[in-house]
Amino acid sequence: MTLSVLAVDDVKAALDELCRLLRESPAVSDVSAAGDPLSALRMIQNGRFDAVFLDISMPGLDGLEVASLLTKLSEPPAIVFVTAYEQHAVAAFGIGAVDYLLKPIRAERLADALMRINRGIPAARPPSEQLPDAMAALPVESAGRTRYVRRGEVMFVEAHGDYVRLHAMSGVHVVRMPISRLEEYWGPAGFVRVHRGFLVALDAVRELRSDSVGGLLAHTDVGDVPVSRRHARDLRESLLAAARAGRLDRSERRV
Amino acid sequence: MAVSADRAPDPAPARARLRPWSRADPVAVLSAARHIADELKDGLTGSGVRAAARGVRRLLEADRVGLADLSGRPVWAPAPPDDEQAAKDLVEEVLHSETKGGRPPLVALPLHVHHELAGVLVVYGAVRRSAIRVAADWIVEALERGMLEASAEQAAQAELRALRAEISPHFVYNALTVISALVSSEPDRSRELMIDFADYIRYSLARHGEYTTVADEFHAIETYLALQRAVLGERLSVQVRVAPEVLAVALPYLVLQPLVENAIRHGIEPRTGTGHVVVRGEAEGNDCVISVEDDGLGMDPALAEEILAGRGGTDSVGLANVDRRLRSVYGPWYGLVVETAPGEGTRVVVRIPRFQPGVMPG
Repeated sequence: MTLSVLAVDDVKAALDELCRLLRESPAVSDVSAAGDPLSALRMIQNGRFDAVFLDISMPGLDGLEVASLLTKLSEPPAIVFVTAYEQHAVAAFGIGAVDYLLKPIRAERLADALMRINRGIPAARPPSEQLPDAMAALPVESAGRTRYVRRGEVMFVEAHGDYVRLHAMSGVHVVRMPISRLEEYWGPAGFVRVHRGFLVALDAVRELRSDSVGGLLAHTDVGDVPVSRRHARDLRESLLAAARAGRLDRSERRV
Repeated sequence: MAVSADRAPDPAPARARLRPWSRADPVAVLSAARHIADELKDGLTGSGVRAAARGVRRLLEADRVGLADLSGRPVWAPAPPDDEQAAKDLVEEVLHSETKGGRPPLVALPLHVHHELAGVLVVYGAVRRSAIRVAADWIVEALERGMLEASAEQAAQAELRALRAEISPHFVYNALTVISALVSSEPDRSRELMIDFADYIRYSLARHGEYTTVADEFHAIETYLALQRAVLGERLSVQVRVAPEVLAVALPYLVLQPLVENAIRHGIEPRTGTGHVVVRGEAEGNDCVISVEDDGLGMDPALAEEILAGRGGTDSVGLANVDRRLRSVYGPWYGLVVETAPGEGTRVVVRIPRFQPGVMPG
């Protein structure tokens, strides 16, 4: 679904830039702008916005105060803070912000924030828990025989048209299934989308490698997986969270 | 002070006469004195003043004891004397004259800390003048010690602040020059670089918390390298490799960037042709090992030692600074290790414990 959004900033140039970036995004259908917190509140009262992009330091009411007023609405819009300083982050997430963008804004971070907003809005999609763990192993055909490839064996998955190629120590196995479906099934088990055509198992990543041209690769024992710019942050955050939780202990990874 | 006549023979009449500074119970006197000194740690405006006054009153066995700072409003233990106004007037008088004033039972002494008037001690009761003088001296010493401790603490903090890595002006001007050169020819690229530059400055100026994570340090390095690539173009080839299991390790801010900057500045910039820099982070047992390697000019190992000791001239303060910060956080075994020889390139290795109590990312 495309979003109707309100951008709020008291610095004209910053507001124009934010609006420009929002208008350029395919996820956004409608952009309104407010140059001060009071007109923002008035507009929110009269209109319906899916999301509000709020500058934090504004005269009168600051962005955090505006946001805490918004949370009292019966159907509050998603809130994304936009600010130059990182020190507000804790307070911002305390209020229940969906995301937190630093100025000047990167287009791919904005895209990421819009994706988070869309994820937060309940979508008309059947819940994926219908097949709880029926996908812990997938049947593959090879030389006329059917064998099962365990999810734990697979280090990364590569899309190949309607098929996926499962890369494991035992070789590459082909299964007929779109990668987006497999992502739904295996996501909770630690598989992360790192590229339009690739999923990687977090605990199979041996190294993150970046090179002179700024490209990022996730290195595994069975090959390198390209990481696209827009998925780089997600992958880093997931890896960091896994490392913090001690889920990257090498000794547990099977061969 | 009186020795009761009907309790003769007193086993220690001489000592009893010397009360309240009786040697009969030195432990109690010393601990009371220490207690007073502790309470005065934050000075005469601190929160411990009332407790200190109580302690002084007990030691002197006075009826009332007051301690005033320069505002002239005494804090009393246990309560102000009946003629509170007279006491206040006396305090004012002593603050003005800076000499002792009043007459028994109400006496006030000025408190000079480091030769400057800091407040007044007021005593009400039948107490010997000499005892009051000794008490005033003790209070002054406690106040002076408190000030010294506070300034020592400030000095330690100032040193840590001074040791923070500094933004390199050389790099800042290079980056800004490249960005401004690209504004009209490649507006999108210049915008992208400007955002990288904002991130670089933001990270370098971060003041919140002393520690960050390996993940953030590596991310900051990538931003920095994106800018350096814009400056140096084809002359710089970089590989950054980090193992996920060290991403959450805590370390002081800006340990890595000065090392990479040093590799580029001394390894790549002075030479012709393409230079390679490899930055790696990996786990080795309970340590996280980060290395920065270049294939540049290298140097005499003796010069590397001089640089680590901070005697390498202004160009290389970065390395010595990182070395000192690491040692002050992790102990003497955790400094930088430099492997180099002329013409052989340079490899700088940082070794930090993966799990260090008390070191948490901010």
